[in-house]
Amino acid sequence: MNESFRRGAREGFRAFLPLSVGLVPWALVTGVAMRSTGLSVLEALGMNLIVFAGTAQLGTLPLIGAGAPLWLIAVTALVLNLRFVIFSAALAPAFERVPVLQRLLSGYLLVDGVFAVGAERMLASTDRDWRMGFFLAPSIYAWVLWQVFVMCGVLGADALPRDWSLEFMATIALITLLVPIARARPMMLAALVGGVATVVLRGMPLRLGMIVGIVLGIAAGFVAERWQSRGEGR
Amino acid sequence: MNEGSLLSGGWLWLAFVLIALATHLPRGSFIVAGSRARLPEQLQRALRYAPAAALAALVFPDMLLVDGAIDPFNAKLVAGMAAFVVALRWRNPWLPFVVGMAIVWLGRV
Repeated sequence: MNESFRRGAREGFRAFLPLSVGLVPWALVTGVAMRSTGLSVLEALGMNLIVFAGTAQLGTLPLIGAGAPLWLIAVTALVLNLRFVIFSAALAPAFERVPVLQRLLSGYLLVDGVFAVGAERMLASTDRDWRMGFFLAPSIYAWVLWQVFVMCGVLGADALPRDWSLEFMATIALITLLVPIARARPMMLAALVGGVATVVLRGMPLRLGMIVGIVLGIAAGFVAERWQSRGEGR
Repeated sequence: MNEGSLLSGGWLWLAFVLIALATHLPRGSFIVAGSRARLPEQLQRALRYAPAAALAALVFPDMLLVDGAIDPFNAKLVAGMAAFVVALRWRNPWLPFVVGMAIVWLGRV
C-alpha cells in the first residue's frame, strides 16, 4: 500500500460517506424481510454473505417465499442486476493492468452508490494505485456497513410481532429505488408498462407473465427513447 | 402468489447460489474481462431499461392484487403511492418506510 493508494482511499471514503447513510434503513429492511419471509438466522446471514445485493435479495424474497421455480428466481435476479453489466463496462478502463485477484474482488464489491459517486473521478485519473484506493476503500466500507446492519435486522426481527405485514417494507424499499429512475420519461414508461403488463398477464403458466412484462417494459422504454430523440432532432 | 410453500433445505441454498451468480457475473463481467470486450451500443441502451421494468414488475402485483384479483382500493396501493411521493419530495431515507407502514397498519384497523 503506497502513498497514492492511501490518498485515493481517503478521498474515496470521504466522497461516499454522505451517501452511505442511505444504506442503513435499506440494510435493516433487508434483514427483517429475509426473516419475515421465513428464512432462519443462518440462512439469512448466508444469503446476505454470498449474494450481497439488496435489490436482488429483496426482489427474489417473495419468489422464494412462494416456492417459485428456480429458473424464475435466477432470471429475476439477473434482470435486476443487468445494470451492473453497464457499470462494469463503464468502469473497465479504470481497472486496466490491475491484478486479476483485485479485479475479482472489485467485481464482488461493486455497488450502485460507489459507482454513482466515484466512476467519473476514477476514469479521469491516470494513477492506478490512486484509483484502486479510491474504489476499494468506500466499497469495503459499504460492505461492512451492509453486513452489520443486515445482521441487526436479522437478529432484531424476532423482537417484532409476526402480524405486522413487515414484508411490505421490502416493497417500499423497491418503490424508493424507482424514484430516481422515474424522473426520466422513457424510464417511467418502461416501469409502467413492465408493471401493468405483469399484473395483466399474471395468469400465464410458469409465471411467464413477469418475464414477458419485463421484456415489454424494456421495449417500451427503448422505443420511447428513440421517439424522444427523434423529436429533439427536428 | 400462493402462500406457505417456502423453498427449503438444499433447494434454498441452490437458489442463493443462483442469485449470487446472477449478481456477480454481471458485476465482474467487464472489470475482470478488461475493456477490450465491448457491449454493442444498442444493447447497452436497451439494458438501461431492465431495472426499471423489473422493479415495477415486482412492485405492481404487490400493490394491485389482493388474493390474486385486481383491487384498486386497498391499503397497500395507497401506502405504496404515499411512499413513492414521500421519497420523491424528501431525502430522508427513513420517511417512506414510516409513512408506508403507518398506512398499511391503519388500513387494518
